[in-house]
Amino acid sequence: MSGFAIDKDAPMIHAERVSKWFGEVIAVNDCTLSLGPGVTGLLGLNGAGKTTLFKLMSGLIVPSQGEVRVRGNRLRREVGLFRRVGFCPESDALFDWLTGREFLSLMIRLMGHNAAEVARRTEASLELVHLVDAADTRIGAYSKGMRQKIKMAQALAHDPEIIFLDEPLNGMDPVSRREIVSLVKRLGGEGRCVIVSSHILPEIETMTRSIALIHHGKLMAEGDITEIRDAIEDRPTIVAFTSPEPKRLASFLAGQELVMGVEIDEFGRVVARTDHAVSFYRELPGWLLAETLPVAEFRTTDDNLQAVFDYLVGG
Amino acid sequence: MPVYERGYRPWENSGKRAAPAWRAIARRGIAEPIKSRRLLFLLVVAWVPAIVKGGILYFTFKMGELSKLLGGDWTDITAAGFHAFLMWQAPFVLIILAIIGANLIAKDREENGLALYFSRPLGLKDYVAGKGAIILTYYFAVTLFPLYALCIFGYLVTNGATGIEMLIEIPLRGTAYCLLAGTSYALVLLAISSLSTRTAFAAMWWVLLVAGTKALAEINALFDARLAIMSFPGQFLNGGTLFFGANPNLEGVSPVVSLGMIILYGAVGWLILRRRIRPVEVVS
Repeated sequence: MSGFAIDKDAPMIHAERVSKWFGEVIAVNDCTLSLGPGVTGLLGLNGAGKTTLFKLMSGLIVPSQGEVRVRGNRLRREVGLFRRVGFCPESDALFDWLTGREFLSLMIRLMGHNAAEVARRTEASLELVHLVDAADTRIGAYSKGMRQKIKMAQALAHDPEIIFLDEPLNGMDPVSRREIVSLVKRLGGEGRCVIVSSHILPEIETMTRSIALIHHGKLMAEGDITEIRDAIEDRPTIVAFTSPEPKRLASFLAGQELVMGVEIDEFGRVVARTDHAVSFYRELPGWLLAETLPVAEFRTTDDNLQAVFDYLVGG
Repeated sequence: MPVYERGYRPWENSGKRAAPAWRAIARRGIAEPIKSRRLLFLLVVAWVPAIVKGGILYFTFKMGELSKLLGGDWTDITAAGFHAFLMWQAPFVLIILAIIGANLIAKDREENGLALYFSRPLGLKDYVAGKGAIILTYYFAVTLFPLYALCIFGYLVTNGATGIEMLIEIPLRGTAYCLLAGTSYALVLLAISSLSTRTAFAAMWWVLLVAGTKALAEINALFDARLAIMSFPGQFLNGGTLFFGANPNLEGVSPVVSLGMIILYGAVGWLILRRRIRPVEVVS
């Protein structure tokens, strides 16, 4: 089981031309994806192939074609690599007849830890997801939110480097959602590779701006939302400015190469369109300072996950 | 370029485990059923033949010729007598294994629990070994362990007169047979469990396989003795005669053939398990 070497320079997880078909149905088609530290949202409509890609990357199913590597090694071939991976499934895949503590202790023991370490990690995980009080209750009696939390706990208990979370906020109340979102961001901030699958866009947007979008089994886009938005050429980014001198601002912006068009809307806001949003944002502070242009506020009306998603999948 | 606070301790893989994964599965699986009082009661009942045989052995040696009135296998302290003892245990094996084993994989499949196991550092062999160890433990609890107890008791009540045969030879024969039969039973039962997501169906198929084929074989054997080969449990007992030096108990079927059948059952079970156990249930 120790016959593999960890290549620290290799991507934390890399899928190379991965395809998966079930009979006649192609669920994932020729996807190449590399992920490193931080939180990445795996997005797609229901049936887009998101769950299949997720499970291919987490080593739960074997690709029909292509390969998935974790730190340069193939996951299913080197099962020891699973010690670096935490997986929180979407389904209520829990053992209802066990208590929360028994369940966690079994899951941690399967990772190969000794008894003392199992006990320590079990308690730490219960505290992490605020389930200490319910630790000796059978999982069958847990609410949906508690089940989500115990699933999260088992995925994190062994301190994994790569974490797969499939619809982690399903069925959670607002307070628990906040806790889990904050936990996910913290895990990403610590340098772990956290992959969150969801079809609820605002959920993803609260956790990360880095996404991978899958549609009809194909990987359509990968990267920062703004960069992806910028790469959508036929849909210029719209930026609205609130300024006490709208005409001067509009006139200046109209003269810039990065700006495709400018207008003043019915609210007196200067609305600029650009198809190079990243460069535009980079230049903007310099322009405003150099020209002493007063701007009270500016906001991008369609540089968000929903807009990117709609433009790419035609939602 | 984001700056990450690498405050966590990444678990560097040393390649060493405190315990193999199958042991963690077995440990939890063995501990869980004995929480049930009904199963505990059944296990106690399954020891009754051993207690009765022990009592008879005691009186045989204490009362001499008089106790021979009881006669038959009950007073037989040769290896063949212990094979007969294992035959008496067959109904308990059928019931207890149905209770213990039918849900072992069916329940994991029903609750999509396989993904939880296989997202951990364990392979199919670890999983099957862990589940199989649960079945073996309970199988031994009603066959091998009472046999050991009887041997030790027999050795003690005869003041060592039964010698090495009672203390070493019979336990060794029993261990070899029970390991083979138990492994084959475990693989077949796990295979049946993997074919369904309903424990009740798996239990039903197990009972049908054991009791149904036995009944069918007995009826067919009236016409042709060789058809006794259809009996699933019959092969185990007939094959067992080779280990204990007892007379074949399936007319028309050689114990060697039965032994081959026991191995074949196990192999078929393993092949089914290889096909059926997948980390993720794939809906086509």
